[in-house]
Amino acid sequence: MDRILIFLLDSSNAILVLMLVSLGLAVIFGLMNVINMAHGEFLVLGAYGVLTLQWAGLPFAACLVIAPMLVALIGLAAEELLIRRTYERLLDTILATWGLSLVLRQGLVLIYGPGSHAVAAPDMGSVPVFGEIYPVYRLVVMALSAAAIAFTFWVFFRTALGLQARAVIANRNMAACLGINTRMLDRLTFAFGAGLAGLAGAVMSPLISVDPNAGLGWLVPGFLSILVAGLGSLSGPIVGAAGVGAVDSLAAAISSPVWAQLTVFVAAIIVIRFFPQGLMALKRREA
Amino acid sequence: MSRRSVIEMLVLVFFVLLPLAMPTWALSDFAIYFTYAIFAVSLAFLWGHVGLLSLGHAVYFGLGAYAMGVVTLGMTVLPGWSVIGVILAVLVPGIVAFVLGSFFFASSGLTGAFFGIVTLALAFVFERMAISSTWLGGMNGLMSIPPVVVFGHEIYDPLVLYFGLLGLLALTIRLLQVVMRSRFGLLLAGVRENELRAATLGHQTARLKVWAFTLSGMIAGLAGALFVSQFGFASPSLIGFSLSAEALIWVALGGRSNLLAAALGAICVRFVESQLSGALGAVWPVVAGLLFMTSVVFLPRGLFGEAMARLQVAGRRSDPS
Repeated sequence: MDRILIFLLDSSNAILVLMLVSLGLAVIFGLMNVINMAHGEFLVLGAYGVLTLQWAGLPFAACLVIAPMLVALIGLAAEELLIRRTYERLLDTILATWGLSLVLRQGLVLIYGPGSHAVAAPDMGSVPVFGEIYPVYRLVVMALSAAAIAFTFWVFFRTALGLQARAVIANRNMAACLGINTRMLDRLTFAFGAGLAGLAGAVMSPLISVDPNAGLGWLVPGFLSILVAGLGSLSGPIVGAAGVGAVDSLAAAISSPVWAQLTVFVAAIIVIRFFPQGLMALKRREA
Repeated sequence: MSRRSVIEMLVLVFFVLLPLAMPTWALSDFAIYFTYAIFAVSLAFLWGHVGLLSLGHAVYFGLGAYAMGVVTLGMTVLPGWSVIGVILAVLVPGIVAFVLGSFFFASSGLTGAFFGIVTLALAFVFERMAISSTWLGGMNGLMSIPPVVVFGHEIYDPLVLYFGLLGLLALTIRLLQVVMRSRFGLLLAGVRENELRAATLGHQTARLKVWAFTLSGMIAGLAGALFVSQFGFASPSLIGFSLSAEALIWVALGGRSNLLAAALGAICVRFVESQLSGALGAVWPVVAGLLFMTSVVFLPRGLFGEAMARLQVAGRRSDPS
């Protein structure tokens, strides 16, 4: 019973962070039709941001706020310099962002060295959760991720900007004709998506080993999550990440993490192959 | 003779004469670049001609490399002849590509970016399997794989390797060009331009793509086999993500829609890398990445592809016949 509870908590932790990653990917893909292969590197940049700011002597909470913003700025610069030149060429966005990921990864190697770093975890102690001792920081990670997800939904469904963004997703040309500044929305969206990845990296930084190649391990599950559930809605990545994360955690509990990853990848490939519209489209078709 | 064949002949003559201007040790480096070029050609055929962007193409290269290693090290019940190694190194990736391709493309099938991401995930799966397989040496891979044996002679003389592999590369490009000009190749181009139209005209587009994928996988496997028998070492890094990414860079920089340009891309990037990695060290991958991004944005046809296309256009203008 106790171990099941801890397992559930750990799984929700992983799932919530994966949700953040795939939400960022889905926002960028949905609005801009850009497949961002550099998303994993944005996550790693968030973690390195925390590391650097901590070295500079800032308190951990400040690092958590500033690091994602820095990543969002880097995303903004990348959009302006690179991504906007490949719009309308879907496969070229893959290549361009792939190149970007190579440059970012090697840039991190140059600055911080190829080895892994550890971010000092804020000492928050442990609390009893339903009679089990659980580290407080992991609960904080969950709360922050959930809050960021809720914030994203709030922006998209309760603000004027979100309404404009959804208009662009539905029909870019019509939205532009109605006077929506799609260029500005593209910039904001890419920065926002990058910032979400940066936040995921920042909150996870004390829990993972921070090394330049850590991004790939998040990118592929993130993509599989959005493809499994289906593109075209914001709830897709949430559902997909829940599915992918849950299967991963379950398989890892039964076998080893390596086999869990293989199981998830193969299962996701099979789902994507047979339901290219995503699993959520099935429900819509029946309704 | 068309302008295009003249360019191709000149490039071939250049590489035939190149050993005169090089020290012997550099020849074996070039022989290895030629195997990379064969791999790049297999990717350019699939990507440029059929329009399928495979983000995990090293899977087939790696399978060929491991098949060759396993056979020539005598780890199977088969005799450890190079011939059997090469045959398996072509057949195993071919069969894997055929099975995966049938799975991907049958009926509605995967297209565009979906195909790319699935192939990327598969590269992870295969790399993981190679790492966790103790039979294949796990993380360390297979070591001291012997060179190719032809009629009882081990081939390790750099000059022989250089010309042998140059010949094979030229042959591969020629073969694929013949395929591309055949009825099958024209149908593949039709699938690339508009798959729905090709299907509406009654062509089995899924089957066409499966066979193109299989052919590309077989050539990648051959390149892998030729690579390990020179390099002597098959490791999980040959099968996974990083080599796939590198091959994409070669092909994008060289030129995706021209096989010779893709081959030149592989050879040049590798050569420049070996020249500059001493001076630039860890900065080199950043430079390569920046060049790659620049070429994707400004030169979608690639450096050599663009140059050759311009030369051909210039030729047509000055020579109205």
